Amino acid sequence: MTRIEVAGLVKIYETPGEALRVLDGLDFDVAAGEAVAIVGPSGSGKTTLLNLLGALDRPSSGSIRIGGEDIGGLTATAAAGFRNRSLGFVFQQHHLLPQLSVLENVLVPRLAGNWQEPAAATESRARELLDKVGLNHRLSHLPWQLSGGEKLRTGVARALLNRPRLLLADEPTGLLDQAATDQVADLLLQLNRDEAVTLIVVTHNAALARRIGRTFELAQGKLKEVAR
Amino acid sequence: MSGLSFTLRGLWYFRASYLGVLAGAALGAMVLLGAMMAGDSVNQTLRQVATARLGKVDAVLAGGDRFFRSALADDLTTKNAAATVAPVFIVKASVTAQRSGRALGNVQVVGVDGRFWHLGPSGTLHEDSADGIDAPQERKFFVNECLARSLDLLTNGNLISNQTLVLRFDKPGMIARDAPLAGKAAEVIALSGNVDRVCDDAQFGRFSLETTQMPQATVFVPLERLQQALGLAGKANLLLLKAHQGESHAHMLEKITHSCTLADYGLTVEEVPLANAVEIRSSRIFFDRKVAEAIQQHFPAAQPVVTYMANSIASNGKSIPYSMVTAVDTTAAPFLPDDKKNGVVLNAWAADDLAAKPGDELSLTYYALDGANRLVERSSRLMLAAVVPLTGLAADPRWMPDFPGVASAEKTADWDAGVPIDMKRIRDKDEAYWNAHRGTPKLFIPLKTGRELFANRWGEFTALRLPAAVASKDRVTTGLLEALDPAVAGLTLQDVGAQAGAAAGSPVEFAGLLIGMSLFLIAAAVALTAMLFRFHIEQRNRESGLLAALGVAPGKILRWRLLEGLCVVALGSGIGTLLAVGYTRLLLGILETIWGGAGGQRWLNFHVEANTLVGGLTGFVCLMMLVIWLVTRKQARQSASMRLEAGNEEVTRPNPQRVPWWALGYAAGGIAALGGSGLLGEAGGFFLGGCLFLSAGLAVYQWVLRRRVAAAMVRELTPQRLAELNCARRGTRSLVVVGSLASGVFLVVAVAAFHKHDGDAWQQRESGAGGFAWWVETTRAMTRGNTHPEADDVLDLGDARGRFGRVLPLRIGPGDDASCFNLNSVIRPRLLATDVAVLANLGAFPIKKVLPGCAKSWDCLRGGRALRAFVDETTLLWVLKKNLGDLLIYHDEWGHEFPVELAGMLDGTVFQGSLVVDEAGLLQHYPSADGPRLFLLENAAGSAVPDRADLQRALADEGATVTSTRDRLAAFNSVENTYLAIFHLLGGLGVLVGSAGLGLLTARNLHARRYEFSILHTLGVPAAVTRRVVFGEAAQIIRWGLGIGVLAALVAILPNLSGGSITQSLGWIALLVALIAANAFGWAWLGYRRQLRHTLGATQEPTPQ
Repeated sequence: MTRIEVAGLVKIYETPGEALRVLDGLDFDVAAGEAVAIVGPSGSGKTTLLNLLGALDRPSSGSIRIGGEDIGGLTATAAAGFRNRSLGFVFQQHHLLPQLSVLENVLVPRLAGNWQEPAAATESRARELLDKVGLNHRLSHLPWQLSGGEKLRTGVARALLNRPRLLLADEPTGLLDQAATDQVADLLLQLNRDEAVTLIVVTHNAALARRIGRTFELAQGKLKEVAR
Repeated sequence: MSGLSFTLRGLWYFRASYLGVLAGAALGAMVLLGAMMAGDSVNQTLRQVATARLGKVDAVLAGGDRFFRSALADDLTTKNAAATVAPVFIVKASVTAQRSGRALGNVQVVGVDGRFWHLGPSGTLHEDSADGIDAPQERKFFVNECLARSLDLLTNGNLISNQTLVLRFDKPGMIARDAPLAGKAAEVIALSGNVDRVCDDAQFGRFSLETTQMPQATVFVPLERLQQALGLAGKANLLLLKAHQGESHAHMLEKITHSCTLADYGLTVEEVPLANAVEIRSSRIFFDRKVAEAIQQHFPAAQPVVTYMANSIASNGKSIPYSMVTAVDTTAAPFLPDDKKNGVVLNAWAADDLAAKPGDELSLTYYALDGANRLVERSSRLMLAAVVPLTGLAADPRWMPDFPGVASAEKTADWDAGVPIDMKRIRDKDEAYWNAHRGTPKLFIPLKTGRELFANRWGEFTALRLPAAVASKDRVTTGLLEALDPAVAGLTLQDVGAQAGAAAGSPVEFAGLLIGMSLFLIAAAVALTAMLFRFHIEQRNRESGLLAALGVAPGKILRWRLLEGLCVVALGSGIGTLLAVGYTRLLLGILETIWGGAGGQRWLNFHVEANTLVGGLTGFVCLMMLVIWLVTRKQARQSASMRLEAGNEEVTRPNPQRVPWWALGYAAGGIAALGGSGLLGEAGGFFLGGCLFLSAGLAVYQWVLRRRVAAAMVRELTPQRLAELNCARRGTRSLVVVGSLASGVFLVVAVAAFHKHDGDAWQQRESGAGGFAWWVETTRAMTRGNTHPEADDVLDLGDARGRFGRVLPLRIGPGDDASCFNLNSVIRPRLLATDVAVLANLGAFPIKKVLPGCAKSWDCLRGGRALRAFVDETTLLWVLKKNLGDLLIYHDEWGHEFPVELAGMLDGTVFQGSLVVDEAGLLQHYPSADGPRLFLLENAAGSAVPDRADLQRALADEGATVTSTRDRLAAFNSVENTYLAIFHLLGGLGVLVGSAGLGLLTARNLHARRYEFSILHTLGVPAAVTRRVVFGEAAQIIRWGLGIGVLAALVAILPNLSGGSITQSLGWIALLVALIAANAFGWAWLGYRRQLRHTLGATQEPTPQ
């Protein structure tokens, strides 16, 4: 159960000739086990926010506390350890490794080392997750042999291997048709409900945002909660 | 799945992508290891040659022109002074094969007995000992392969039967032939025999004391036969020794000293009854000064005597021709009056003949040496103090030493004194005096006066006498052996084994040289490999980002990438090592074209040391990994989010402000490097300067690229502008390819400019030939050519003399050929001595630099406390690796060290490989030096240009080798040009690598931007515009690469070019640049063609899997 506390979050990108202020003093909290959607126009900084929440990037100023831990001050190695222990990522472009099978792709987080669980137990969990996302018949397939939805579901299974306290999904349905979108949305919300995983989803999909419930809109560097 | 298996999986999956990295690593390793293997091969071959040259010989006792008993070898063996001792007699000869009529000069004739072969590399002459022959017998000769090939004695590698050789050599004198009263100027001996065997290297056929890899043509003659022919029965001039295990040089010398007899020192002790004294005589007539000093120190009572031949003794208008004059003090000649007050004493016969009485003035004329070897007649006025009767000791003919050609003459007509004698002046009464009294002196003069008049560089005294009361003959003999040692007597024990070991390393460290030459190519290969690796890493940016997002620590991702790189680089380097074997053989083949083998055989043996292999391979892999780490680390530093976003884009940030300072700094450094070439050496200055200018150019290019990114928004978008932006978009790639191209171009252009051209400049005084047309080396020393100054025919050219102008004789002193034709490390180059005043007057040869404070003239060689020398630049820089003002240590005639100061540098002259010193200076250290054996000849002005063959024929009797100075310079130039050709080859490969990089870059960029081009295509942009964009990029890279390379080269080489050479080089450079540009465009076109179909077929933006 992980609570997210964001205070005065600023992210500035330095470009030749100008400083681009993408996030301009965001303040918000997300309760543990809560599901949140972040919407906003392209280029509004949604993915930047997600990267900051996932300790993939560092804020220019402000703080992000996840489960009480200030992740803005972590070193790259400590941040990696944090992600490996506590976070799950689902990407729009799923980023499966082409040289690995579906099962192996799910097992990739184990490569980080310091994995507490025995290898056999992890593999068993990977199989269970793939079964859960409906891919138990695709275990040895390579990514190019999968459909877009299957790739995404593989990415979801991979994101869950470490039993994350926080699941971050960046446009998870952006490349999917409606049926696949519904399937993925069902899966994410089920995980949120069943495993009390805090879920933050960046999306353009209004229907998905509605299904998730609490929604924030990011525009011109500012975040405001959308009334329901 | 472990990290290792994940890495291996990645390796296998991306194997096609890694092929370029593999090829780059293989190329780099091949070039680096090939250079190192070539170095090993050269060094190993030199060691093998040294072993073949000296066999098991550890040391030699060398007498030079002094002879000792060959039985000394027996004595040393008896005393167990060395494991094996062999006496040898070596002379230089010209050899003619009777059947073919072919002749060869400067052949080494070695008189040997069976012991010689025991010192050979195999310890025996024949493998099975079945024939029982262990030395040439009677009228048989053995020859080595070099001579056999040179004189066509072989057919299909086998000796043609019944081949008769005629050897012609000078009979060595007991004293240098150009010493006064040394006897005949020359006595040529001919010796013929049938060739019985051709000795190969294992059979000691390569025996030579000269430090060179070139085999010396050699004839092995039975020792006794040679001794008899020379009239030196039982004598040798060289002793070869194999030391006992662990025996020191000093210990061996001590044993030799104990074994030497007076005969070995060339001394005899005789009783002189009339003087009641014991007389010590030297076989060299004049006592070496050091010998005389040692004897006088041991026997303070020893009385010196000098007897010399006067050309005339005249008084009262009368003259006595050719008489002996003895300078001695009254202690040794009690018959002389005590009160002669520094006057002189005639014997009664002479006083009667001259009607002279005490108080009369006498005029004494005699021959003396003016300078090095020109005899001049001098005269001196003396006051007659007394007349002594021709009786007793005053009538003792023993006062006269055994002057060669005089002492044994029955009558004066038989005299062959070695000085001009006008027989018409000899009267009957003179003949009668000779018959009755032989060389009994007619005039006695004070010792002091005699030393002043007759001393020469060979010594001052002709005898030393000890009163019998002081020492008996036996005591004198014993005392002399105590007082003397071989070194004092001019017999030097040389540690040839150690010297050969030290020399058997090339002065040009080939591994280093070839690596230096390959540096740009290796750098290009490494840069290209790193660029390809980086392509690959960029291609997997999202994978890395994903791993980071999933919690894999950045360090671990980097390690995995590096492990993949290590596997590919290690495999590539392994392949490169295998390729290096073939590449090394190619290099050795090229190097062999410089030095050539005997009969054109391959002689550089392939060899590689385990250390080289392991060290080279490890070093290269480490270098590659370092570069890969540098390029990968930069990527790894990027945040995971950026890598996830960037895909295969380069994720560097522009920073256009800083670069111009770097460029200026590099350029300033380049100028400083060129300016400091005095400190760094010209090559070092050129390389460092060139590198820095290249870096400056690349820094400017990098700055321009970043400026383009910064200015992206402010200019109209045209295909050209798009091409510029594309170059800037992946700036590092563009920079690497421009850098590779520029490096290759720099090398090719710079090296082309250094190419040596052979022209007609040799005719100029200030040229490397000094205006001399011919370089003539004779087998025999030409000693008395200048006896008659008016004749000026030092080479005895006779009627042909008129076709030649000035003849410059040079004495050849000790030392080895240190020219670029000798692969060994020569510590002491051959000394060439001439009257430098002649060269100074002529202003001949280009003097590039002299010591501070010296005039830039040959006269510089006459100053200084040490013997000064001029040396050719190539020898100074590449062989000796010294600077002006450095001292080289030589050993004088008695084995004592003396310094030779490098006082000036000549610029590309025929003297390459030697030190040129003033003749007078040389003779101070080597008074017994042979007469000139090297001559530079001018063609006579206005006369038909003589033919080399004509000159060779005219000098056949002298065993001369005639080379035109132009050919000699061309030969030296050809060595440098061959080095340059290797450089060119490697530079060309560098250009190819750079161009291939451009092709790969073009293909890669097209591949990476296939979506972008497809969009253009979809939007209706014609293919021609796309092509303009693609080739605009290539053109830009080529322009920058060529521009930077050519500019850097021109700036680096300009200070080293004379007007003539740059004019000759410019056309060639322009052609090369055009070829390089065409080649680069060709590669770009190939890359374009290869990717074209895929590019225009792509309609969707590539998405990562």
